[in-house]
Amino acid sequence: MKQRMRLLATALLGVTVTLPAAVGIGGTATAAADGDAPAYSQTKHLDRTISVQGQEIEIDSRDMTVTVDRTTQLRGRERVNISWTGAHPTGGRSSSPFGEKGLLQEYPVVILQCRGLDDPSLAPDKQLAPETCWTSSRAQRTQVADDSEAAWRHDKYASDAQRAQKFGLDPIPAECNDVATFSTRITPFRAANGTVYASCTSETMPPEAAVGAAFPPAEQAAFSDLEGNGHTKFEVRSDVENESLGCNDTVACSIVVIPIQGISCLDDDAACSRGGQFEAGSNNFSSQGVDLTASPTLWWSESNWRNRFSIPITFGLPPDACTVLDDRAPTGFYGSELMSQASLQWSPSFCLDKKRFKFQHNKMADAAGFTLAENGGGAAAFVSSKHTVKGTDPMAYAPTAVTGFSIGYVIDRPGNAGEFTDLKLNARLVAKLLTQSYLGSELGRGHPGMSANPVGINLDPEFQKLNPGLDTITREAAATLLSLSESSDVVQSLTEYIAQDRSAMEWVKGKADPWGMKVNPSYRKIKLPVAEWPLLDDYVPTTNDECRQQNPTPYFTQLAAPVNSIRKIAEAILDAWPNVQTRCDRSAVTDPWKIGRVDRQGVGTRFMFGVVSMGDAERLGLDQASLATRSGYVAPTTAGLTKALRLAEPSKEGDEPFTLDMAQMVRKNAYPGTMIVYTAARTANLPEEDAAKVAQFIEVSTTEGQREGYGNGELPPGYVPIKKAGVTAPLWKQAQAVAKEIGEQSGATSTDTGGGDGGGTGDGGAVDGDGAGAGTSGASDPGPGSVSEVGDNGTGDEPADQGDGEDEKSTDDRAGGKKVKDEEQELVAMPPTTEVSSPVAERILPLLLLVALISAIGANLVRLRHLRRSRG
Amino acid sequence: MCCLVAGWMLAQMLYLGGLAQDRAQDALYTEFRGELAAGTAPIGPVVEVGRPVATLSIPHIGVHQVVTEGTASGDLLGGPGHLRNTVLPGQLGTSAVFGRASTYGAPFARIGELVRGDQINVTTAQGARRFKVIGVRRAGDPLPQPRPEGASRLVLVSGEASAARLPSLSPGRVVYVDAEADEAFPTPAGLPRVVPDPEQAMGTESGAVMPLLTLCLGLLLALTLGVIAARQRFSTAVVWVVATPVVIAVAWLTTDVVMRLLPNLM
Repeated sequence: MKQRMRLLATALLGVTVTLPAAVGIGGTATAAADGDAPAYSQTKHLDRTISVQGQEIEIDSRDMTVTVDRTTQLRGRERVNISWTGAHPTGGRSSSPFGEKGLLQEYPVVILQCRGLDDPSLAPDKQLAPETCWTSSRAQRTQVADDSEAAWRHDKYASDAQRAQKFGLDPIPAECNDVATFSTRITPFRAANGTVYASCTSETMPPEAAVGAAFPPAEQAAFSDLEGNGHTKFEVRSDVENESLGCNDTVACSIVVIPIQGISCLDDDAACSRGGQFEAGSNNFSSQGVDLTASPTLWWSESNWRNRFSIPITFGLPPDACTVLDDRAPTGFYGSELMSQASLQWSPSFCLDKKRFKFQHNKMADAAGFTLAENGGGAAAFVSSKHTVKGTDPMAYAPTAVTGFSIGYVIDRPGNAGEFTDLKLNARLVAKLLTQSYLGSELGRGHPGMSANPVGINLDPEFQKLNPGLDTITREAAATLLSLSESSDVVQSLTEYIAQDRSAMEWVKGKADPWGMKVNPSYRKIKLPVAEWPLLDDYVPTTNDECRQQNPTPYFTQLAAPVNSIRKIAEAILDAWPNVQTRCDRSAVTDPWKIGRVDRQGVGTRFMFGVVSMGDAERLGLDQASLATRSGYVAPTTAGLTKALRLAEPSKEGDEPFTLDMAQMVRKNAYPGTMIVYTAARTANLPEEDAAKVAQFIEVSTTEGQREGYGNGELPPGYVPIKKAGVTAPLWKQAQAVAKEIGEQSGATSTDTGGGDGGGTGDGGAVDGDGAGAGTSGASDPGPGSVSEVGDNGTGDEPADQGDGEDEKSTDDRAGGKKVKDEEQELVAMPPTTEVSSPVAERILPLLLLVALISAIGANLVRLRHLRRSRG
Repeated sequence: MCCLVAGWMLAQMLYLGGLAQDRAQDALYTEFRGELAAGTAPIGPVVEVGRPVATLSIPHIGVHQVVTEGTASGDLLGGPGHLRNTVLPGQLGTSAVFGRASTYGAPFARIGELVRGDQINVTTAQGARRFKVIGVRRAGDPLPQPRPEGASRLVLVSGEASAARLPSLSPGRVVYVDAEADEAFPTPAGLPRVVPDPEQAMGTESGAVMPLLTLCLGLLLALTLGVIAARQRFSTAVVWVVATPVVIAVAWLTTDVVMRLLPNLM
């Protein structure tokens, strides 16, 4: 029996070791320096003894192994996988393991992030101690109890001072309101700057632990299953998120895993030697009290603390490293947010090398970035599809990264069974979410034309069939897919996925699905694909709710509430904090009601979706949905992306984006979210300096920038490396060719004004007209061109106007400095007035005249005949 | 019946509407004069739709009009309207003013005849400005040169017949007149970025107008039935004397509503 158990344990160990690789997108596995071995793995012997009538008895003994998949070059908010075997099974599991909510459990595994290393040879301020471990609540640091309940005072391994009635701070500060007759144990927090926070009341906690802090608690008391195995994702915080904890690339930190084993008792004490109230594997949903001796509250007691696994971690350079370390002016690359994780790692490899330039990626809508690169506002753009050239200079596209979007989610299985990790979605379900066709709550029931629709996606039979075993709680977040508010190639690609699917499009056009669900009439027959998802629904529910009467807002728009960056979506999913704006709030009864974002979802019943980039999802450890293809469901893995790359067809010109046909990807079972990000720049009239920088960037990023890893200049997971050989060879070749083309600036301008000077100024003029148009509504305003364009021209706020003006001047200077400084306005090539006409306006008056005349004549004729007949 | 309906509509669009527009202009002028004197005239950036914002006179073609805020079809019944996402006339930037070309007084019927150098005088809450016409623009013509720094630009927009037949009755395409003043009044910040489709050139209102139209048509129907019923009881003369003003009033109202469904520049 025992042997079998051990066999099982080793098998499970194997599974947990390979788990991180399986969770990561292929890249992770190869990225690890030494094959599949975890970054950290250690085994320790744990035991617990109690004393019965003065005799010491060992009541528990086990060997526990902890493995961690990643420990180096971490970034703020990144999640690492921690798994363990051989721990004491957890009893009375709470639904949320985080912070204070995880305290009411027995025998969990406490995981904390602490400043310092567990190395006795270091200076005391570089070592970790309970005082440098971050917790977000007072209860995790301070215990005040009646002497008979103070289990920690009977700890066999503690020193005499620690077993005293008061320990931790001497004297105990007055603001702690300490009761003299009780036992008190305080573990103050020592911040990175030396401040000591007494941590005995919520007011004496560090600022990052304040009520309603920006980030939810990260420290956990995770559970072990009946075999003593467990797995969790632990979010690390850098000093950007938590300044008091203060971990960064220079301050060493550790993740400390403390298995709660129960206090080993020095003497016969009832409170100390208890074994727990809950059966192993049971749940504690009602937050009943637990035996203190086996609870995570006493993680700092010597009996628990001595069993710690200290995992040293290092952080990568902070996002602002280049700003701090390099005082050169940055060269801006504008556009796609899909690149953000790659640029985060690439930029230090540029700015810290004096031979290279200071690369800066400014995230914005692809179309806006392209316009900037085209009219001289930026050196180059990151885009992932072909954009129309509005000026006269030719643009070339160099493939720079292969990545894509995915649908990130966080969903808990019912009954505290952990997270759901196998979500499948098809195009129609995505369409249902995007078109706001789920009701959200009973408030949406009154919407005309869709009152029979399910309240949320988890109540939709189609979804239940694909993803069985999930709960059927109604929540507003389950009615929406958190998406982007601005124009983006990601939205374009996502809606292309819907557009290629016949059943989804039929449904969008108004045909009910087999279960009778209909599209929201506001979105019926919407033309797909689109680059910017419109908010079309304007249904305002009528209720007796005072708050809603004071704030009449379209309900479905509040549910959808798109945000302007993909990173925000990823963080919302990480925090399980939907962006649904339906919370009614007022500070006092006399104040008016305000509408705001709903609360974070409780762990155990989390359920939300969002459109994320694969880079962000991998970094933050988000689960990503598999999307339906012709025969099956494809996850965003290297294999899925590679399949898509096989279908990519190069352009005829050799410097335009590859054609990646969505319908074909779905037919060939490639991952439909695959997108190739290009560096786009002008191949003529780009200033020499910029041209050299862009060419260098493309060369470096497509060679050394494609090595997988977490270090500076390496390619993070979530991207498929572009290599010289294999399926990515055509991409690599085009990148090198385009780099050369941009470096040489040999492209032919399509100007017809003639003469270098004219070409240069013509370009400047286009800035003024088109740039302003793009700035307002993503250049897609179909309105009567001339009026709004001319209007925009002047209505732009003043600074922008001046900026344009300067730009124009500098373009002129670059064009040869031949500008004649006379007062006369030079002629600028302007686009033609767009045609606006209305056949109705043209025909209605003549038509009315005709009808009036004909009917007048007709009436008279009829009367004449009448008269004649009556006479006759 | 057909003749009556079509004839009435035609009459109101071309002649009776002009009366209504004249009357509206008088009222607007009085209101705006008062506001100018009291210093309460609006300077933007967001003005209530329908309020007078400027007076506009073009001596060459004899136009003297009060410009109101808003360019939807219904707003232009009373006179030229100012496009809401542009600055007010005379302010730094480009302002657009829409006007009808052949119905309801047809204030902008002849703007196509303007030539380079013609004057356009504008008075707003910030003072008076004299614009000089740069040129007349139709579809396909190049946009005017970028606005010089510190200048104010004014674009008059109206309809025009595209073919030679019935030139005053078929204003199907859009004509623009660009004018410029060297100096400009300061512009307050916070201009709306876009305006809804009904306020764009040749835009039509729909949706909200339909219930009103239904109501008007219902009233007309009820009136007709009422007249038929009344004729059996009372003498024809009495019925006509009583019914005519009511019928005309309702027909007038109905045509005003119908106008809102038609393009705003005609």
